[in-house]
Amino acid sequence: MIAIKISFKLNGKWVEADVEPYKRALDFLRDDMGMTSVKEGCSEGECGACTIIVNGRNVHSCLMLAVELDGKDVWTLEGIIESGETYISEAYADVGAVQCGFCTPGFIVSTKVLLDENPNPKEEDIKKALEGNICRCTGYARIIEAVKEAARRKRGDAS
Amino acid sequence: MKFNYAAPVTLEELSELKKGGGKLFSGGTDLFVKMRAGVLKPDLVVDTKKVETPKLECDKGLRIYMNTTYTDILKSGCARKYSLLMKILLEVGSPQIRNRGTPVGNLGNASPAGDFLLSTYVYDSKVIVGPSMREVPVKNFVKGPGKVDLSDEEFIYAVILEPLEGYTTYYEKVGRRNSMVISIASIAVALKIESGVIEDARIAYGSVGPTVVRFTDLEEKLIGERPKKELFESLAMEYSDRVKPITDVRASAEYRKKLTGNLLIKAYLNMNL
Ligand SMILES: Cc1cc2nc3c(=O)[nH]c(=O)nc-3n(C[C@H](O)[C@H](O)[C@H](O)COP(=O)(O)OP(=O)(O)OC[C@H]3O[C@@H](n4cnc5c(N)ncnc54)[C@H](O)[C@@H]3O)c2cc1C
Ligand code: FES
Ligand code: FES
Repeated sequence: MIAIKISFKLNGKWVEADVEPYKRALDFLRDDMGMTSVKEGCSEGECGACTIIVNGRNVHSCLMLAVELDGKDVWTLEGIIESGETYISEAYADVGAVQCGFCTPGFIVSTKVLLDENPNPKEEDIKKALEGNICRCTGYARIIEAVKEAARRKRGDAS
Repeated sequence: MKFNYAAPVTLEELSELKKGGGKLFSGGTDLFVKMRAGVLKPDLVVDTKKVETPKLECDKGLRIYMNTTYTDILKSGCARKYSLLMKILLEVGSPQIRNRGTPVGNLGNASPAGDFLLSTYVYDSKVIVGPSMREVPVKNFVKGPGKVDLSDEEFIYAVILEPLEGYTTYYEKVGRRNSMVISIASIAVALKIESGVIEDARIAYGSVGPTVVRFTDLEEKLIGERPKKELFESLAMEYSDRVKPITDVRASAEYRKKLTGNLLIKAYLNMNL
């Protein structure tokens, strides 16, 4: 099978790559691009561990092909941190919303999409926005608290 | 699992590739799950997203074109008056699924648990089938679980929902819909009441038969009547008797039958008629 050339923006920088037509975006980003924040959990769209941002929207990289990234603006947790947007990950850590940490990159990515759209989310908005991310450790209360704290920090409110 | 990928830019090419055995996809939220599970093993997947099509048109009914995602609709102002549809779409999957998944894919998948599919039965929808652009009522288009009225070269181009003006509506889904597992049962109801009397009634159920079901003879029993609790209670029993659900890991057929009736009574009580 002939590899397909793609070029896309990964964490703010244009990159080019040759990808097999059947390769998932998940495997490509993790194995070929070294973006190990993108985790493989269920591989069927349930757990959200593989969540990335494509053109401003959060999607599952396990249900997407690498070739579909062509021409897109793609963000993973690595890029969010590198670009200095650390207020979400810091809020998660400070509030104690991280236990084993496997789910955390996916949660932070979904939180970023939420807060970019709605800097002042209500509890229901937070629950709805994180519906596609599963955490088996924390029981979610701390995660919701972390999102509220991140929102306060983003708005610049003193906490 | 290895397969090839094509991304046509015209509808003619798309039709040719499908005719040659390619499996179409837009969001891939059904197709890739099935391929992963080994249920489908296509040699070629055909990405429909490079074909330029309109997204939504709201002037003559609501037209939803291929590649339009749930999120596109939820964010668009013009679809907002389709309030039952909006309620239903907000319950589909998760943000990640709504950002990729499409109503046209839901139709193509033709699962009896399909939530968008359920809404199309209530909105008396029509499917526009390419490349000829023939129009088919959705109830004739869906032939069974996963079966639709498309020949090898045909594809779904768009779906048209007729507006429901002056209707009171209700929607409920019991049991979360997971990727491969269908919900236990779902109901969508639209009633039009004029001076205290029911003028039109549409009642659709998901997951209680091989396709979404509506029984027009039972709906007609409501027409001309006042919306009284007893009326809905006796109709609920008829629905329970009529549906032919299956037993699966999530619920028994008996339970689904009982639920079918109870959902109608619950819909009645919640609509505050
Ligand atoms: C975790 C998870 C949760 C989900 N939750 C729900 C839920 O709550 N409710 C629900 O209804 N569904 C749910 N789904 C199923 C799925 O997301 C929806 O059915 C979605 O609408 C499919 O759209 P898609 O564009 O991703 O379809 P695709 O996977 O791209 O395609 C689906 C099918 O349609 C065919 N097809 C695609 N485009 C065309 C076309 N233009 N013409 C003809 N055939 C075509 C494909 O060949 C395929 O068979 C869920 C799925 C997952 C993984
Ligand atoms: S690995 Fe993609 S959703 Fe679980
Ligand atoms: S912290 Fe372990 S899964 Fe969420």
